[in-house]
Amino acid sequence: MVEPTSSHLEAWNARLLEYEESRRVGPVQAAFERMRRNKLLLLGSALGLVVLGAGVLGPIISGADPTVQSFSTTNQPPGFEGHLLGTDHLGRDLAVRTFVGIRVSLMVAAGVTLLSLVLGLLLGMVGGFLGGWRDRTIRGVVDFVWGFPLILVAVLFAGGLGEGLFPVILAVGLVNTAAIARVVRGEVLTLSEREFIEAARAGGLSTIRIMTKHLFPNILAPALVLASYYVAVAIIAEAALSFIGLGAQPPTPSLGGMVSDGRNFLQLNHWGSTIPGLTIVLLVLAVSLIGDGLRDVFDPRLRHEAKGVGEE
Amino acid sequence: MKLLLVRTAYLVLIVLVSSVAVFYAIRLSGGDAVAAVIQPGSASLEARDQLRELWGLNLPIHEQYLTYMGNLLRGDPGNSLTNSTPIVNMLVIHGRHSLILGGAAFVLVFGLGVPLGILASLRRNSVVDASIMSFSVAGMAVPNFWLALLAVWLFASTLHWLPTAGCCSPRHLVLPAVVLAMEGLALTVRMTRSAMLENLERDFVRTLRAGGLSEFRVIGRHVLRNALIPVVSLAGLRIGQIVGYALVVETIFGWPGLGQVLVNAVLRRDYPVAQFFSLLLVALVVLGNWLADLGYLATNPRLRAGQLGV
Repeated sequence: MVEPTSSHLEAWNARLLEYEESRRVGPVQAAFERMRRNKLLLLGSALGLVVLGAGVLGPIISGADPTVQSFSTTNQPPGFEGHLLGTDHLGRDLAVRTFVGIRVSLMVAAGVTLLSLVLGLLLGMVGGFLGGWRDRTIRGVVDFVWGFPLILVAVLFAGGLGEGLFPVILAVGLVNTAAIARVVRGEVLTLSEREFIEAARAGGLSTIRIMTKHLFPNILAPALVLASYYVAVAIIAEAALSFIGLGAQPPTPSLGGMVSDGRNFLQLNHWGSTIPGLTIVLLVLAVSLIGDGLRDVFDPRLRHEAKGVGEE
Repeated sequence: MKLLLVRTAYLVLIVLVSSVAVFYAIRLSGGDAVAAVIQPGSASLEARDQLRELWGLNLPIHEQYLTYMGNLLRGDPGNSLTNSTPIVNMLVIHGRHSLILGGAAFVLVFGLGVPLGILASLRRNSVVDASIMSFSVAGMAVPNFWLALLAVWLFASTLHWLPTAGCCSPRHLVLPAVVLAMEGLALTVRMTRSAMLENLERDFVRTLRAGGLSEFRVIGRHVLRNALIPVVSLAGLRIGQIVGYALVVETIFGWPGLGQVLVNAVLRRDYPVAQFFSLLLVALVVLGNWLADLGYLATNPRLRAGQLGV
């Protein structure tokens, strides 16, 4: 038997990558075609762009400060004296606060997604590919975290770390990590039986190299699609926690906090509560439509996995 | 049977691990319990140290933990720091409210969800089915605190049919119970409908019908029994869901249950209270998941053979 030299390994690695690439191009192009035809995805993307645009450009264009108070003009309806959406109970401009609130929501969502994607991929790949005690340990932890209500975990984190956006990101990120790790693990188990992984093993490539160069690129797309689904979960959780006072702290404008501020003045001027509330609904709708659309386009099989706790 | 033991041991282990985690997290948090109770500048440093000693905060954390768990197992979780109420009293008073609200939500989830799901499946593709399913989709998509707010605005502020918040008459219970139940209700409707549809198409139904059994008996006796197994066996998961959402819903409606107690304790750094009720709710959720596991095992004989690990 001939021991494989490093040049052999390089050549084998390159040929396998070439093969995997050739297998991927077709489906990706077809997927883009399907994307263009998927109306829900287009609608979601359009809606998402509008909300995102408001969040990114709104504060720049209006130039107003979201924290400036004016006690002579509190609780005014939309259109009052240059306040596009009116003012809140402290006379602050609702439009700017809503725009900045969108930013906060999206920042939390980005943090949660990044955290859960990186950790979920790592845990899922290590567990699924290496198996053994590592897999058992990871599965034990992941199954435990997965069965937990998000809000309770976040309240526990707030108890340990204090109120604010960081514990929210950590709590929601960790619970979502469990959801992503479960699916990634399943995908890895399926992929491990595919011929190119077998070929990479047979060719003597190291485990690390197989995982980073051959497994990872093939697992990334489904993981991204799944993560997009959980963006909506993150946005709702942040809003709910800020609503009960454990998320963003004043004066940071957060949509959930604004809904909470406005609820004491529902009869006086319901806009203070309904505008941020509607914004949350729109944001969640846009993100869910995009997530659903991407899932349909790229990976119809994931439809079952992403449905939330208990729907088995 | 072996699997049952393993799962039960796992349940105990999880609760123990959680108790350590909760205890350490709350002790290590920056907030100083003494500072949270005493007004700044109103007590000398010696007095503060005495208070720490009184509460046992000067001991190493693992000793504090063992003392605490010992007391807890003897039925004494300590007193609230902010108003010195024994936590046991808080548990009795607020636990009752939580049981009422959670129980009402649980009854709604199954008492309303199952019949609606059955109705939708029997009137498949009709207007009834479409409206029930749209309601179900909406129930899962709308964040519940927003739903709560809309409900308050419509039924309380505008129509004046129900009170906006508070406790404890049946009229006060309606809005929080419906909001708390909504997501579980929507899920139960969907699960019941799809399980019914699946079973209605099976061979034994055709055989029973061909045998001349009335439609009422075919569905009531045979289809329903099969269809409800997955729905009911996962009922434990709904407990966790209700516990989680109760934290938000109780705060919104000012319902004085355990969820509100926990949120307030966290906000006020009343750590004995936060610690005890965190643990209690964690144990409840774990228990719910355990029940769902049992239900799953009981209804899936293949798993009982023991091929499945923990």
